Amino acid sequence: MNNLKIKKSSIRLVIALKEEAQVILNYFRLKPVNEKTIYPIYKNEEETHWLIISGIGRSNAAASTAYLYSYSKASIYTSWINIGIAGSDKGNYGDLYLVDKISTYQRKTSTYPSTMPKATLPKMHLFTSDIPISDYTSYELIDMEGSAFFDIASKLTSKEFICLMKVISDGPKNDIKEMTKSKISNLIKVNLFKIIDVVSYYERISEAEFLIIDKPELFNDIKSKWHFSATQSFKLETLLRRIENFCNKKDIEKIIKNCETSSSVINVLNLKIKNNLVNWSKF
Amino acid sequence: MIETIYVEEVIKNHPRTKFILKKFKKSRIILIDKYGEIFNKRNQNFRIQKSNPCLILAHKKDGFVLPAPEGFGIGSSKNFYFSHMYNCIYDCRYCFLQGMYSSANYVIFVNFEDFDIAIKKIIEKNVNTKLTFFSGYDCDSLAFENVTGFAKHILSIFKTYTQIEIEFRTKSIQKQPFFSLKPMKNVILAYSLMPELMSNSLDNKAPSISRRISVISELASKGWKIGLRFDPLIHGENWKELYKELLENIYNNISTDCLHSVSFGTLRFPKRMFKDIFKLYPNEPLFTSPLSLNNKMISYNIEIEEEMTSYCKNLSLRYINEDQIFKCSI
Ligand code: SF4
Repeated sequence: MNNLKIKKSSIRLVIALKEEAQVILNYFRLKPVNEKTIYPIYKNEEETHWLIISGIGRSNAAASTAYLYSYSKASIYTSWINIGIAGSDKGNYGDLYLVDKISTYQRKTSTYPSTMPKATLPKMHLFTSDIPISDYTSYELIDMEGSAFFDIASKLTSKEFICLMKVISDGPKNDIKEMTKSKISNLIKVNLFKIIDVVSYYERISEAEFLIIDKPELFNDIKSKWHFSATQSFKLETLLRRIENFCNKKDIEKIIKNCETSSSVINVLNLKIKNNLVNWSKF
Repeated sequence: MIETIYVEEVIKNHPRTKFILKKFKKSRIILIDKYGEIFNKRNQNFRIQKSNPCLILAHKKDGFVLPAPEGFGIGSSKNFYFSHMYNCIYDCRYCFLQGMYSSANYVIFVNFEDFDIAIKKIIEKNVNTKLTFFSGYDCDSLAFENVTGFAKHILSIFKTYTQIEIEFRTKSIQKQPFFSLKPMKNVILAYSLMPELMSNSLDNKAPSISRRISVISELASKGWKIGLRFDPLIHGENWKELYKELLENIYNNISTDCLHSVSFGTLRFPKRMFKDIFKLYPNEPLFTSPLSLNNKMISYNIEIEEEMTSYCKNLSLRYINEDQIFKCSI
């Protein structure tokens, strides 16, 4: 997996149709990338938010998710979001749902996406089908991409960073054949603020993870002055993380100033830890 | 508030499942085939899950009672443990569970009766052997008692086998079912303790030390046998004063007649586990301690460990006998 050092949040959106994506493209100011790509890809100026139009169906959803991952150099702490319309006879036309269980014809076992905590949005069980289904009675939500998106995204990050949201667009009372491009756009538009709310949760957790894995402040500085092997670099990073909690930058620089080799830097830092008496009243 | 409860299809109609679900009327229930589908998946973020864990109700198939790891005992010749639950509602920074499981969700096995059968089998196989059972090795044994009722259930076995000991190890201030029962000589309520200052930083979400001590003293005055578990011993500035204050506070506040045993354990992580826990919480004060690799374990160096253990042991000897003191060395 790629492991880019990015301080800002990192979001990837996978959406089947341009009509579903349009309001989201506008809201996040996403522009088409400047080269020919297998699937249409959009990104914002800061390159934190990317969106791919996958097209309909499971193969497209799987392929486009994997494609966006490598094209946009996503990280393990990138959040992956699938937004789209779905059929249902259980919920109300136009309502937005989070998905917490996914089933398919192909697999006996279901999969279980996490959902954001304290969400006020209702949750439903999604059935992903390869063909349009007109009998809505057996399932809560029906789409044609969700399971494939989730299967691939689960290989790219942990499930807490994956989200599926569906707006009910058709059902026994709303014939799928009567769906138009503008109706689809409108369904997403009326739910835009709820969608943004969910996306912002995923922005926050992604950003928080990047802050945690961020290299210690002095890491690159020290590495530029001495030569560290890969194992030593790992040791240095761990030691700095521990020491930074009780020692300021200047003091660290002072104690390693006279070291001649990378090994002696590590020894000096090790000694600093060895002699540390944690002051528990500070924490 | 538990938002989501996963329930294994096979136990969806089990009376205990229904009993537990009644306590979470607002939670969303999702039926699953096997708890492993949720719990054992590798791609999970323990830290994020810990802030909002789900509950999984499951049926345990095997491994109900297992031999306790060496160094876990309190004087018996054979020690066993069982866990009706995986994971804990508290979030202690040194807890080995965070390095052991990929999920922070709670699993409760509802088929308590299978634990009964396994315990009885072991007792019957080991006649004339001094046995101790430890409840809740993979969780806190009492913290979720108001939801599971496991302690209340399992006590009935030990009412029959009065020569067999059972220890409930906990940080909770859960008084029931013990408070309303007649004390049983073979039951040990064992409390994990450390100085308040350290506990405030390390025992996240667990009751404060002073509340634990007040519950210990109440249960002791009722006649229940108490175990004191200073495990792990935590090093730091003024550790001697802090431990002296803690030990004296406890020994002066509970009747030592009720003290079954006292044990001291050192802070130890297998190397791999330390790596995982450090990755989860790299900025934790605990990891600024003088911990290093000794014998494939990350621990304080042996001099610190020995100094802390013998200091606390010597202090305790002013109040209790040597044969009541044990070293926990797992
Ligand atoms: S109480 Fe015990 S099991 Fe629970 S988090 Fe703390 S150490 Fe872990």
